[in-house]
Amino acid sequence: MKRMSMTMVIVLLLIPMALFARGVSEDVTTLTIAGRDGAYGDAMELAIQSYTAKNPNVRFELLKLSGSELMEQSVIELRGGTGAFDVILIDDPFLTQLQEAGWLADLDALYRKKGVAIDPDLVENMVNIGRYPYPNGPLYALPHVGNVALFAYRQDVSRKYGIEKFDTWSQVLDVAKKIKANEPGMAPILFRGVQGNPIVTGFLPIYWAFGADILKDGKPAFDTPEALNALEYFLELAKYAPQGVTAYQATQVSDALLSGVGAIAIEVWPGWIGNLENPELSNVVGKVKIAAHPGEVKRSSSMIGAWMVAIPKDSKNIDAAFDFLLHLTSAETQAMISEKNGVPPTRHSVHKISSLVAMYPWYPAQLDGQISGSIRPRTNYWAEIESVFGDYLQRALVGNLTAKAALEQIQRRVTEIIER
Amino acid sequence: MRNRERAVYSSFFYIVFAPALLIILLLTTYPMVTILYDSFFRYSFVVNTRTFVGLGNYIHIVGEELFQRSLINTLVFTLVASFSEVVLGVALAFLLKRQFLGKRVASLIVIFPMIISTMVICAVWQIFYHYEIGLFNHVLTTLGMQRVGWLTDQRVALASIILVDLWQWTPFAFLIIQAGMGSIPSEIFEAAQIDGARSGQIAVKVTLPILRNQILLVLMLRTLDTFRLFDKVYALTGGGPANATQTLSFFIYREGFKFFNFGRASAASVITLVGVAFLALFYVRRLLGEEE
Repeated sequence: MKRMSMTMVIVLLLIPMALFARGVSEDVTTLTIAGRDGAYGDAMELAIQSYTAKNPNVRFELLKLSGSELMEQSVIELRGGTGAFDVILIDDPFLTQLQEAGWLADLDALYRKKGVAIDPDLVENMVNIGRYPYPNGPLYALPHVGNVALFAYRQDVSRKYGIEKFDTWSQVLDVAKKIKANEPGMAPILFRGVQGNPIVTGFLPIYWAFGADILKDGKPAFDTPEALNALEYFLELAKYAPQGVTAYQATQVSDALLSGVGAIAIEVWPGWIGNLENPELSNVVGKVKIAAHPGEVKRSSSMIGAWMVAIPKDSKNIDAAFDFLLHLTSAETQAMISEKNGVPPTRHSVHKISSLVAMYPWYPAQLDGQISGSIRPRTNYWAEIESVFGDYLQRALVGNLTAKAALEQIQRRVTEIIER
Repeated sequence: MRNRERAVYSSFFYIVFAPALLIILLLTTYPMVTILYDSFFRYSFVVNTRTFVGLGNYIHIVGEELFQRSLINTLVFTLVASFSEVVLGVALAFLLKRQFLGKRVASLIVIFPMIISTMVICAVWQIFYHYEIGLFNHVLTTLGMQRVGWLTDQRVALASIILVDLWQWTPFAFLIIQAGMGSIPSEIFEAAQIDGARSGQIAVKVTLPILRNQILLVLMLRTLDTFRLFDKVYALTGGGPANATQTLSFFIYREGFKFFNFGRASAASVITLVGVAFLALFYVRRLLGEEE
């Protein structure tokens, strides 16, 4: 009898608890974000914290994935149409491929539904990257990380050789030769030499400055005199890079620059140089100039490598996800992330906050790059093109192929890929 | 009557094993059949388009320089790594067979690399191999020698990965060979000694022939594993420099999960599967043949 009474009491206690729990769960929305690891993941976490402080009924699951894992998982989930992700981070060249499959929600429609317009404070060139077809189609993604490839050099060293500001790549080569001859222990040139994306990304500003193109009217354009001049120049410049440059990644470039060993980095990204002016971590405080890339036959054109945020159209929480996107890309959130984490903003106003410019002196160059920078070709085959381009580029770098032979091979292979 | 009993007996086993067999068929045969089917199509996973191309994927892939390079690298890696691991494993087993002070600690140290995650091992070896600050180049420069681009020189990079594999998996060979040695009755050695055989002769003419099956087993397991090399390439070199460390598994990964060309990835997988099956069959036949 006693046991029976106890059981009844427990059951009576559990029923309201279960009902209460059900009531709570109905009000809570959980957004799942497929995001990046490292600094980008930390930046997303900061945005989540500030959002949940204002919206306690929204919870988040943040997946911090490497770049390749993010693409793999996004494609597999989006293809499955399970609605597992509510927000996804996309490396800008892959937006075309994802939207070609029609997997993303139309943000223009969501703006209209909410009765707001795209804030003109967001850099227009960066917003347009999220349009498909580029640059005038509907909007499918907003710019979250305003990455722009920049050019870094030790101004104290370049001044010794009469260069205050590099206008051309020819000047870069001249100074590299002088540094090699006169500055023992210093690596004149730094870049990422790992095959695939890293070496291509480092080379593209040179390639474009020499007037070469990747695709012209949708067809490969690697077998041109401009491309040959660019590659021959790059191979000449690479003679002044450290011996192990073919294994150099972002860490090695950044370490060499911050330690004072490297003189000129032909490619740096804002995420690599956050500690440049931090005396505890940098030996070169006030010595390194971050600028737009030099030109050659064409004016300089920085390469944009933005991380965009989008909402899968199969998400079950599209409205909540859109509200979070507006928060993530707001001026307030971008300023907070920029200050605490160093991830580059995509708004005009945030680039002009004086305290941030003091922390990150390259903000004016970064904003210029965002306004006028170039993007990689919008094609479904970019991953393959980049892979082939990077493979043969590195083979030329290690001396397996001449510049001409490498470009002929790239032209042949990319043509095969596009015509397949 | 006897036939009936046998039929009942067989049926019982079929019934008992049917669920497990069904699961195995689903988990192994179905993916294999799917891969074989997909390999005859130009199949883009992203846009979900399939066009029948017959043997087109196979013909294209086999003719590609990158695939040929991947195949050669895989064969070189498989042969050198698996044979070296077995030779070193046998040598270690002989070395640690004798009784000496600290034998237990030595055995523990020897098997230590095998229990660490491959990614951790790669991170550690990446530091060892670092051109500027790496341990190996530090030793070389201290001895007045030139630095080596362990992971950056295309002539050395594959050998550097083989060295990491040897470090990690020689203990596995050692463990199996040592277990085999432990199971040899001591009377055999005593008899050989009475017959006047020296320790070298005992090792070559008595111990090794008895360990033949264990050696073949280790060789088979290591061959099959090394043929599928992926993780060390992914973590240490990314296939570079200049494709010097590209392997078949890495080729499949690139085609499948970077480019989402599932038709081409499937064709390359079928070729790899045939290679692995051929190797496995070779060893299994030798192992079973010996038993029969």
